[in-house]
Amino acid sequence: MSKYVERFNTKERVLHWFVAASFFTLLLSGLGLFARLFHGYFDFFGGGVGAILVHKYAGIVFFASSLLLFFNHFREMNVFDEDDRIWFRQLGGYLSRDVNHINSGKFNAGQKAFGLFMGMATILMGVTGIVNWFPLSFPRVIVRLSLLLHGLLFVLFIMFVVVHAYLTTIGNPGTLESMIYGNVKRIWARKHHPKWYGEIAGREKAAE
Amino acid sequence: MAQARMGLLIDTSRCIGCRSCQVACKEWNHLEADKTAGAGTYENPRDLTPNLYNRVRFIENADVAGNVKWRFVNERCLHCGDAGCMKVCPSPGALFRTKEGFVGFDKAKCIACKYCVSACPFGVPRYGVEDKVAKCHLCLDRVGIGMGPACATACPTQALQFGDRSGLVAKAKASGKSLYGEADLAGLGVLYALEERPEAYGLPSSPSIPTSIFLWKDVIKPLGILGFWGSVAAVLVHYINFGARTPEDDNAEKGGSARE
Repeated sequence: MSKYVERFNTKERVLHWFVAASFFTLLLSGLGLFARLFHGYFDFFGGGVGAILVHKYAGIVFFASSLLLFFNHFREMNVFDEDDRIWFRQLGGYLSRDVNHINSGKFNAGQKAFGLFMGMATILMGVTGIVNWFPLSFPRVIVRLSLLLHGLLFVLFIMFVVVHAYLTTIGNPGTLESMIYGNVKRIWARKHHPKWYGEIAGREKAAE
Repeated sequence: MAQARMGLLIDTSRCIGCRSCQVACKEWNHLEADKTAGAGTYENPRDLTPNLYNRVRFIENADVAGNVKWRFVNERCLHCGDAGCMKVCPSPGALFRTKEGFVGFDKAKCIACKYCVSACPFGVPRYGVEDKVAKCHLCLDRVGIGMGPACATACPTQALQFGDRSGLVAKAKASGKSLYGEADLAGLGVLYALEERPEAYGLPSSPSIPTSIFLWKDVIKPLGILGFWGSVAAVLVHYINFGARTPEDDNAEKGGSARE
């Protein structure tokens, strides 16, 4: 029996890294647009005009890859059961040193919520992004709200990304492998996602 | 500001709608003519354009008896003391405060984000084919060397008066006309002496920076900086306080390890 089980297939991993790469491109090119305080970041793109150009096309890549990833996982994310309610009540056990026994499926409740947020926010970012791209083609009051919403979503994005990067690396060792090689250790799957591991183990048993 | 704030007073009662101001502005600033179409009004062009920094609006109203009343009002950038365009402009120096207190622009530094178009309380900035900001800069090149702006210099009736702002304010108040823009938006650099309510001239009665622009720049921006560093601090504190959750095998768990 292999020591590993597959968690994300190649398509999912490639999509994820498209999302991540375009996100950080958008971050670097958009910081100067978010506030004049960060205008120094324009230098990465040879000035503000270049930054805006990169921001627009990176936005298209992000929108497409993030939505594809969202739809790929939608059915797994859009169901919350009793175990997920327990996860929310205990905040995933993250505010405790004790071993938790939350019976999470392939994605725990926090991951599902994060995934759903990313999907919704991607759509809103895309819509407001188009308005901000063509500000002369829309009523000014719409463009103002669009700029406001785009900035607000950016703030939420950057906060969630800090937490996401933490939880998937040093916060939960063994997680990053799932996004690089696609596989996780059986012990990792059993401890973090017992219900999901149970399904995999059940399928393996049936195949024997 | 090293020197006293300058101003332009637009006295609508003196305006005869000759449009000398439009022509003088175009001539001084080398602005191309716009192709226009007749539309049953003497107002021409019908709106500010990237090549038209100021224009005379012709407002025609007929009362019940059929008597037509004409109002002429010069329309342009009002050079707000607290300017929405400058508040949102992400490119340092693209929009700047002149030493006379006006809002100048530098096309070479404009990055064409067009935030200024959305943030202006009066809907003034325009973008043309070159995709750079265009608006009245109150002839900063003339004013900077002690001359009056082209529009006021050409005005035959003194409907446009250029000078020390506080002097213009005092003069307009003494004449008994209603003064527009004395205190709004930290005082407008271009003031109006109106004969009627501002709305009659298409001016907002109490202009201000749009709420959404305020929220974006004064709430979301600091919130974002706080949110980012707050998140970084939160995960660091979490790591130190609760540590990594490393899955261990069952034997280790039974052996008393509290970590998972």
